[in-house]
Amino acid sequence: MLEFKSVHKSFGERTILKDLSFEAKKGEILFILGTSGTGKSVLLKLIVGLLNVTSGEIWIDGEKTSDYSETEMFAVRKKCGMVFQHPALFDSLNVFQNVSYGIRPHLSGLSESEIYDRVLEGLEVVGLGKDIFEENSSRLSYGVQKRVSLARTLALRPEILLFDEPTTGLDPVTTQSVNKLILDSSRKFHCTALVVSHDMDSALSVADRILVLNKGEIVELATPTEIKKSQVPLVKEFLEEVLDRGDQNHV
Amino acid sequence: MFKTIQFGLESLGEAVLFFFHLMGLSFTGQVNGGQIFDQIWKVFLESLPTTMLAGFFVGGIMTVQFSMQIEAFGAMSYLGGLATSATFREVGPLLIAFLLSGKIGAFTAAELGTMKVTEQIDAIRCLGSDPLIEVIVPRFIGIIVASLFLLVFGLGLSVTGGMLMAYFFANINPDEYIRHISSIVTISSIFSGLFKCLTFSFVIAGICTYMGYSTTGGARGVGLSVIRTAVLSMVSIVVTDWLTSFLFNSVLQSMGKL
Repeated sequence: MLEFKSVHKSFGERTILKDLSFEAKKGEILFILGTSGTGKSVLLKLIVGLLNVTSGEIWIDGEKTSDYSETEMFAVRKKCGMVFQHPALFDSLNVFQNVSYGIRPHLSGLSESEIYDRVLEGLEVVGLGKDIFEENSSRLSYGVQKRVSLARTLALRPEILLFDEPTTGLDPVTTQSVNKLILDSSRKFHCTALVVSHDMDSALSVADRILVLNKGEIVELATPTEIKKSQVPLVKEFLEEVLDRGDQNHV
Repeated sequence: MFKTIQFGLESLGEAVLFFFHLMGLSFTGQVNGGQIFDQIWKVFLESLPTTMLAGFFVGGIMTVQFSMQIEAFGAMSYLGGLATSATFREVGPLLIAFLLSGKIGAFTAAELGTMKVTEQIDAIRCLGSDPLIEVIVPRFIGIIVASLFLLVFGLGLSVTGGMLMAYFFANINPDEYIRHISSIVTISSIFSGLFKCLTFSFVIAGICTYMGYSTTGGARGVGLSVIRTAVLSMVSIVVTDWLTSFLFNSVLQSMGKL
């Protein structure tokens, strides 16, 4: 479905990703964990062609997309819906216009009623309804903006969902609901999900597999059960942090 | 100092390349006509009061200045012609363009810069659209057309401003003020002014869209883009003014009409 083959990414002298190779299978939820500045977001941007690889190959559905031109990438980007760290909603548009942006008639060939249905379906998956169609997106709370942003991506019916730190800056309750959204949307639309995160707790509860990056290299790629037994120092640090948080919650 | 000059020249070079790219895209027919019309209307309406005020007072200032100089020569009947000619050929387009670069240019750079740093531009690309076609080109064409109309409108109002100032401060009635305009303000003066308005519109649109679109970083990056837009626009307007004046004089001299 999605495969990285020896991908290397540098910005000038600074190397961000080194010889990265892994694959994500259809329908799999793969969490990508790592400390700040390890190239997690860069990895997602390479998939959708917002950045180009320095060397190596990226394959999506048997097509080598890392060589694609900007024009060729438009189709790939529709296949790979990306949910950004910021909601990235268009603040001059209302919720309906935001969610339908990528499926407007000239882009999707859908009729007005089909677009309406898709928008409503996307919003319902994220727990919202048509009552907010006319709301200006800039007036919504941050949590609701994140949901609308996910609905906008889901309206494209992507085969691969890319989440860039979906729970950063959210309270624990909203974090849980976003995790459920990732799980629900992935299962409902049978799509592969790559989730970039710092949050081991979310990864353990949602992921099928967890990939841990350190200084641009893969240090662990395993299932949550295997991760819990990992002897990799960085993975142990992440796990200890989860345990500490658990103890504090008990107190 | 050297780094600042180097950065300025690099930015100017990149802005020129970006400008030609946008010009090319403008003629591909991919841009939504409705979006362009919306931008023209929005920019025009938002800047109309400011331009009217600026145009009126530019004409007024020129009239007051000229009246003080030519009164000594007893040539007050030529006041309208001289003030209008100077306003049309040089001062009017320049001052109104400065004002528009501050208003439209800074607003557009801030708007596009914010869209860039909050990943809205990347989101458009990820939704299968080209942000240049969807966001930048409509603004680019909208600013050019609206600025041109605003500049011409401002110049028109400068005559009214000059006429009123002449009436109140130099005691020259409107008939006398207008009488010599046609003998001093030649077709070439009007054409020179209009040509400057057109080139300034392109300068403002090109620089503010480029600066906004190339914004990096967070809020500080947006702030820097706005400052660079203001500085680069004004410097470029002055340089373009000199260049167009030089070209016009050369052309008119070669035609023996100067």
